[in-house]
Amino acid sequence: MATAPSASVEARLDIPEGTCVLTYDPLDVQSIIHSVADDGAGATAVFIGTTRNSFKGKVVTRLDYQAYSKMAIKTMANILRDAHSRYTRSDHHTAPSDTKTSSLIKSAVHHRLGTVPVGEPSIVIAVSSPHRKEAFVACELILEEVKMKAQIWKREFYEGEREDEAEWKANTGH
Amino acid sequence: MPTITVLYFAAASTATGLTTEELPLPAPSESDNASCLPLSALADLLAARHPGTKLREVLAQSQWAVDEEMVDDPAQVDDPAQVVLRGGEEVAVICPVSGG
Repeated sequence: MATAPSASVEARLDIPEGTCVLTYDPLDVQSIIHSVADDGAGATAVFIGTTRNSFKGKVVTRLDYQAYSKMAIKTMANILRDAHSRYTRSDHHTAPSDTKTSSLIKSAVHHRLGTVPVGEPSIVIAVSSPHRKEAFVACELILEEVKMKAQIWKREFYEGEREDEAEWKANTGH
Repeated sequence: MPTITVLYFAAASTATGLTTEELPLPAPSESDNASCLPLSALADLLAARHPGTKLREVLAQSQWAVDEEMVDDPAQVDDPAQVVLRGGEEVAVICPVSGG
């Protein structure tokens, strides 16, 4: 495999809204779910993206990921901030002013770098919220935004094809 | 001599065989005492340094990031034609992304 760029390093950014991680280690789904746990949460939405074994009839043997980590981690954090600010509710318990609080409690987005074998998670997103609707919607929004904006790239390797001809994919919105 | 650091990822890295490159900026001209390079001229300069590769095609589909800020984002910085590099910047080729 070609050398990963030196900029494609592990990274972690903790913000009030949650945690963003880029790691070469396998993703620990239970640990990520636990990281957003809160007694005030009635719902936790989780998305796990895994390497699929096929693409347009071809057998996929693995995916390789690299990132411009110091930018990608900031982009991921901005996505969490945006999600938390989009889903707000009026806090009726504080009078008289109608202060807006986030409907989301905590979010986590972890993305794996390096080789991700078939069947293993490449991305895990967890979102906790008092109510299920916002958790589901925010989880999906975070995923779509990460796919569109994060400075992360995926290379797909097919069975029977030369490694040096493996294509770098581009997200086109599906 | 002022230089910029160019970072190559993904398809740009495969095309050049590099992950990073130090690029000296053109010498000062009569009208400007300092070396400078408009960002809009960078693609041609890099393509010329890597002839016979697919770099030019890759750059045509890519955006730039200068010192960790995306260019081509109207909310953040000026039109790329007006972004000028003066030395010391980290400029990354951001090919179409595919995270998640």
